[in-house]
Amino acid sequence: MTFRELLARERRAQRGLLVRAAILAALTAASSVVLLGLSGWFITAAAFAGAAGTTAALAFNYMLPAAGIRLLAITRTAARYGERLAGHEAAFRALARLRPQLFRALAGAPAEKSLALGTGEANARLIGDVDAVENHFVRMSSPWGVAAALASGLALIVLGGIMAALATLACLGVMLALADRIARRFAERGRAVQRAGGELRETLATLAGAAPELRCFGLEDYAADRIATSSRRLASAQRRQAEVAGWFELLHAATVAIAAGTALLLSLAAGAPLAALAALAAAMTIDAAGPALRALLERGRLQEAEARLEALVEAAVPPRTCSPLPADYSITIARPVSCRITQGEHMALNGVSGVGKTTLIEAFIGLRPVARGAVTLGGIDLSELPVDAARSCFAWMPQDAALIAGSVRENLLLANPGADEVAMWQALADAALEDRVRALDNGLDSWIGENGVRLSGGERRRLALARAYVATAPWLLLDEPSEGLDAVTEAVVAARLADRLDRTGQGVILVSHRPAMAAICNRSIMLESADTVAARDAA
Amino acid sequence: MTATTGDKAAQRDRARWLRAAVGRDPRVRLSVALLIADAVAATGFAGGIAAAVVAVPKGMAAVLPWAVLAMASGALRGLAAMLAARTGAAGAETVKLTLRTRVVDALLARAPGSNTTIGTLLSTAVDEVDALDGYAARFLPARKAAALAPMLVLAAVAVASPISAAILVATLLPFIIAMALAGGAAANESRRQFVALSRLSGRFADRIRALPVVLAFRATEREAEALGRAADELARRTMRVLRVAFLSSAALEFFAALSVAMVAVYCGFNLLGQLPFSVPEQLDLGRAFFVLALAPEFYAPMRRLAAAYHDKQAAETASDRLRTLPEPISAPATPMPVGLPALRFDRVTIRYPDTGRPAVNGLSFQVGAGETVALLGPSGSGKSSLLHLLLGLAPLTSGRVEIDGAALPAGASIASLASWAGQQPLVIPGTIRDNLLLANADASESELARAVHEAGLAPMLARRTDGIDTRLDTRGGGISGGERRRIALARALLKPAPLLLLDEPTAHLDAAAEESLIATIASARAGRTTLIATHSERLAAIADRVVRLGEPA
Repeated sequence: MTFRELLARERRAQRGLLVRAAILAALTAASSVVLLGLSGWFITAAAFAGAAGTTAALAFNYMLPAAGIRLLAITRTAARYGERLAGHEAAFRALARLRPQLFRALAGAPAEKSLALGTGEANARLIGDVDAVENHFVRMSSPWGVAAALASGLALIVLGGIMAALATLACLGVMLALADRIARRFAERGRAVQRAGGELRETLATLAGAAPELRCFGLEDYAADRIATSSRRLASAQRRQAEVAGWFELLHAATVAIAAGTALLLSLAAGAPLAALAALAAAMTIDAAGPALRALLERGRLQEAEARLEALVEAAVPPRTCSPLPADYSITIARPVSCRITQGEHMALNGVSGVGKTTLIEAFIGLRPVARGAVTLGGIDLSELPVDAARSCFAWMPQDAALIAGSVRENLLLANPGADEVAMWQALADAALEDRVRALDNGLDSWIGENGVRLSGGERRRLALARAYVATAPWLLLDEPSEGLDAVTEAVVAARLADRLDRTGQGVILVSHRPAMAAICNRSIMLESADTVAARDAA
Repeated sequence: MTATTGDKAAQRDRARWLRAAVGRDPRVRLSVALLIADAVAATGFAGGIAAAVVAVPKGMAAVLPWAVLAMASGALRGLAAMLAARTGAAGAETVKLTLRTRVVDALLARAPGSNTTIGTLLSTAVDEVDALDGYAARFLPARKAAALAPMLVLAAVAVASPISAAILVATLLPFIIAMALAGGAAANESRRQFVALSRLSGRFADRIRALPVVLAFRATEREAEALGRAADELARRTMRVLRVAFLSSAALEFFAALSVAMVAVYCGFNLLGQLPFSVPEQLDLGRAFFVLALAPEFYAPMRRLAAAYHDKQAAETASDRLRTLPEPISAPATPMPVGLPALRFDRVTIRYPDTGRPAVNGLSFQVGAGETVALLGPSGSGKSSLLHLLLGLAPLTSGRVEIDGAALPAGASIASLASWAGQQPLVIPGTIRDNLLLANADASESELARAVHEAGLAPMLARRTDGIDTRLDTRGGGISGGERRRIALARALLKPAPLLLLDEPTAHLDAAAEESLIATIASARAGRTTLIATHSERLAAIADRVVRLGEPA
């Protein structure tokens, strides 16, 4: 699904509000035009009646026009309020649905692509670009305002003469055409704002992570300069975009005045009251095109944001669905080493550091591409299995023990949203972390900070282990679960893991260079690098 | 009432900070002048259109000059608006640039491991600084113009009809009260809305960082839904803010319309000669039309101000975070030893602000001049913090660090003596040569060649047609992790520094790559004091001494 299609779907979803906004925009514009026209006529006609003598003055019906003016003033205010509310509500509801959609698209991209997206870039697209799309929804009612203003305006101005009406029509047409040209000519400026914003975020994210190098090599000024360059580019793009907005202001105000003057000059024959009516109605007809002009102004930014989001969405691949599900959970590995692991086995994956143990484990769960024929799960080639089906077979504890910013509970529920308190406490106990969590201020609901910054390294690791325990998958995939634990804690973790495996019947594939952990396994395989194998074969 | 007093004090702080940040930009005064010019031009338009309507019975020749005046005044209003937009934007540009420089200085000086995350960093340096745009470009000029422009309009109205002017003055006080109510009503809700936005943005950044885990546990859908709920919450809060904002601007619009209607009723009855009481003035069409065309302009500057309230609230909310940024500290001067430095760490404790436990607790060890010491331990055990401490990037909470027997003052850095290669090397867009020369811009071609050779980078360069002039992008496209690490090492060797700091230089490399890089490091460290943070036993084996860091207590 493309971003354009996502956007179209949100437009359909918000149709009720958008239609309401359009109707109210039309009502606002029309009542504005009629209100001013009627006011001009009223005061002029009253003056002429007053000048004609007391009888004429007494005969002048001021009740009806005065009531009309009051009604129109109320209608205009209420309609404008309703229109702005409906338009913005549609925009924010659509955005609230688009954001998770975009996250899904990002997560659905091939892992090598989605995992490579920089924090700055992801942030720029999901926050900066999505915000630009907001305007698109707010401004959707603007053409209806223009149409209603034009219809009601022409109906009034024609009282002053057909030429006056045509002149107003011409003014509006010329203004919109000019605005379109300016918008086209300067569309690049709006695009530049979006790009510069993304670039600044990316530069910041890159340089902020390199503090030691910047300091050692005396590059702090250099870094500040580079950020300042990006910052200047963004600020100047924003200023240049604001200058285009200035041109629109000039065009709009000048056209309003010209339309009013021209309508007056062309309706002299109809008499002063109707000429006043035509002049003011013409001014308001043009005035009502303001929101449409602002939509044109934002067009460049919107196009660029759409294009950048389109690139994000396009990367998503449709999930594989066709294949039959595995009959059992045995694993056959053909490359880089040949072996078969039957369901429920306790297998240690050995090999020197860097030989590819983590790579193999990550291939099991679809975080790395897996070659056809390299691994089968329950007799089905892993490269053909729907990636979620593969993931459901493994509870993974990553080597870097990555955690999400949130509470202990949120981290555990990530693995299994159905886990109850008992299961969570049991998992924490098996990971030798129960006492520590009980001692926290809010127990399971204690906030652990970004990537568990409030915990020690060993506690982070044990929480990541407990998280894997909470998942009810047939296989545990544990990547260095006891690294950095002291011997006593490690012994407890190993013993409780062995008990847990007996209880649950789960199998485990374990990467660990620590003998105490490896001891719980009853089999082991050795991964060797291609170079070593080649060297041995040659010998 | 303490809370209220506290709120008021906070409000004063905010206002003071904003004044200082935006400064006394002369362009604000120019913007104000332009907004006042707009009010003058509005008077011209009203006069022109009124006189033209009066002249209608006399025919085209009489109407034309007045119609032209009206059109010219209208165009002038456009010109004033355009110039005000440009001036405001130029002023806002300066404000944002100055402020962002300050924010970036503070953020670059931040200690790694401190509680500032990349997500909040980005929202502070980009979004919150941008939030001052509307304040500088629109709110400030509008506030100053709102005090002056209505008086000018009032004077013009008074010339034509003093009683109409009196009616306008009478409506002024209630109008201002309504405006103040409207401005205050949404302030707190608006602040909460910005907090919700920053939380959403932080959540996105966090889940992107932890994406492998989210994918592995098939939590994409749940996370997407949770993000949807956070986004919904933001939408609801935003709508609550907007409802109040729109309602108050509608109230002001209605109030203005009501006041104009009162003037209109007066003018109408005066023209018809049917006022129920006697007044000292008799209006004619010209004066009445002029007064009525001008009356809305009396309220326009104040309504413009009310419309810019949101800009003010956005700026105030942003200022809450911006003004609590740490001042960048310049490291105190340290006497630098000549020759190879010896280091002594004595019961060193490092605890980052706002964290429960120290990253390093009471650690003591020594590094002799020219020695290699490996800090061995898992990630999170404080190895990197010890290296950062030497660069003034981590706080020395207690204990002592000595360089050749002299204590290193708190916050001091021996960066000028040190060279660095880490596990995620900085790669700038440019050639490999550009990236190497970052460490020593004056390096000669032969020094460059030696560093390339010592770091084992030569085979990689030989494989590429452009050699050392191969271009890299920020993501390090086209080079492997091992090659990236070697570029970082070559860069570190290019700086003639007596102290070499290596932070996990071999992490996540395959065995062959690790082995060859270890050999490279073993020979390249010659003639330097070397401190290596690693979790690799094999790398630690080349050290003269190994310091084992366990789990922090």
